[in-house]
Amino acid sequence: MEEQAIIDMPTYNQLKDLMGAEFIIELIDTYNLETGTLIEQLEQALKEGEATSFGRCAHSIKSSSASLGALVFSQQARELEMMGKANDLTGAEEKLAKLNVDFVQLKQCLEGLRDGS
Amino acid sequence: MGRNVTPGRLLVVDDNKVNRLLLGRGLEQQGHQVAFAENGRQALEILHQNGFDLMLLDIQMPEMDGYQVLEKVASDLELRDIPVIVTSALEELDSVVRCIEMGAEDYLIKPVNPVLLRARIGAGLEKKRLRDQQRELIKRFATAEVAQDLDESGFVLGGRFVEASVMFSDIRDFTSLAESQSPAQVIELLNTYYTLMFEAISGQGGVINQMVGDGLMSIFGAPLPLLNHGEQAVRASLEMIEMIDLFNLDQVSANRPTIKIGIGIVTGQVIAGYTGTLRRATYTCVGDTVNLAARLEAYTKVAKQPILIDSATRQSLSATIKVEDLGLADIKGKNQQVNIFSVVV
Repeated sequence: MEEQAIIDMPTYNQLKDLMGAEFIIELIDTYNLETGTLIEQLEQALKEGEATSFGRCAHSIKSSSASLGALVFSQQARELEMMGKANDLTGAEEKLAKLNVDFVQLKQCLEGLRDGS
Repeated sequence: MGRNVTPGRLLVVDDNKVNRLLLGRGLEQQGHQVAFAENGRQALEILHQNGFDLMLLDIQMPEMDGYQVLEKVASDLELRDIPVIVTSALEELDSVVRCIEMGAEDYLIKPVNPVLLRARIGAGLEKKRLRDQQRELIKRFATAEVAQDLDESGFVLGGRFVEASVMFSDIRDFTSLAESQSPAQVIELLNTYYTLMFEAISGQGGVINQMVGDGLMSIFGAPLPLLNHGEQAVRASLEMIEMIDLFNLDQVSANRPTIKIGIGIVTGQVIAGYTGTLRRATYTCVGDTVNLAARLEAYTKVAKQPILIDSATRQSLSATIKVEDLGLADIKGKNQQVNIFSVVV
């Protein structure tokens, strides 16, 4: 069923080579923390019907996820961003729930990479 | 690609910590000093505290977004020369265009490619350096007034009519003097001469806007108005003569040649403005007043007087300055004779 890897390894490896293995550890920890907070903010924005801040948080997730090579996840965040921008959050709840589940998986994957690095 | 980039002080503005870390790491690896801000408001605070060479700016941020920052920076005299590179996602190209129109220097697509990052930062810093240099040059060759006027007008090229006094001055027989000296001595002499003249001219509110060889053209009353530009120009010319006398005493004691200067001052309407291109502009004045001032300066040789002025300048003088009416004179390029006066030194 897996069409695409959770982490795009060429992107990740290039980043690691350029930035250094030690830095990658810090980066992953920061990413996991930051993304967790942003997802909470997404939930909050959705509850309050704040499409603008919903879009902005999703945008932020999209951007940092792409940097780390979490391309599928970044794409999911992008869809949420577009909903926020269009000021139409219909169906956002399901997508956000999926994002939340996938984040758990992504987090584990990143932690695995971090510890193996 | 392997070109070395001179380190700079950079500010990275991004609401996402991962992005801040990534950009910061990349920049530090290139030897730059990096500071961070999480949103636009913080960015402006930090920008005001420290001198930065360049800012990397995210567009979408809470509290104050990138557009608002660009707007503030553009209207802030202190900040507006800091080059801004906008960082954005590929699909935000519309926003990038808007940012460039608002004054951003360049943009980088996120995730940022390190090679592009290096190149764009290098180019941005280079531009900043050129601009700083240009500002330094303006300060050196013009006065604080012109520098300020340029700053405020944002280098708007365009002219206007102004009442002003124009002064031309140069060293008598400089060519033969130059031939009897070594090149190093000539340059040293010129530098001392310029320093003395600049002091006298700017001390009276004049603006030096042309230096050709040993000749200087200065304007009193533009770009900023002077209460009595005619008198101030004449006072400056008297100080110039005085300084040359002192300089000559030094020269004699050092067994070096002395110099003599001639000065012509004319008051009237001039067309003043910045001429040139946006990249290289100079403040200047043109018109009959300017031409006549140049002619009078040349005529000092004929009249054997150091300072010659026209009747409009004469009329602006207070009684403390003594002048001698030399009557009507035939001045090259003029159909009618011109009443000229010599300022008594």
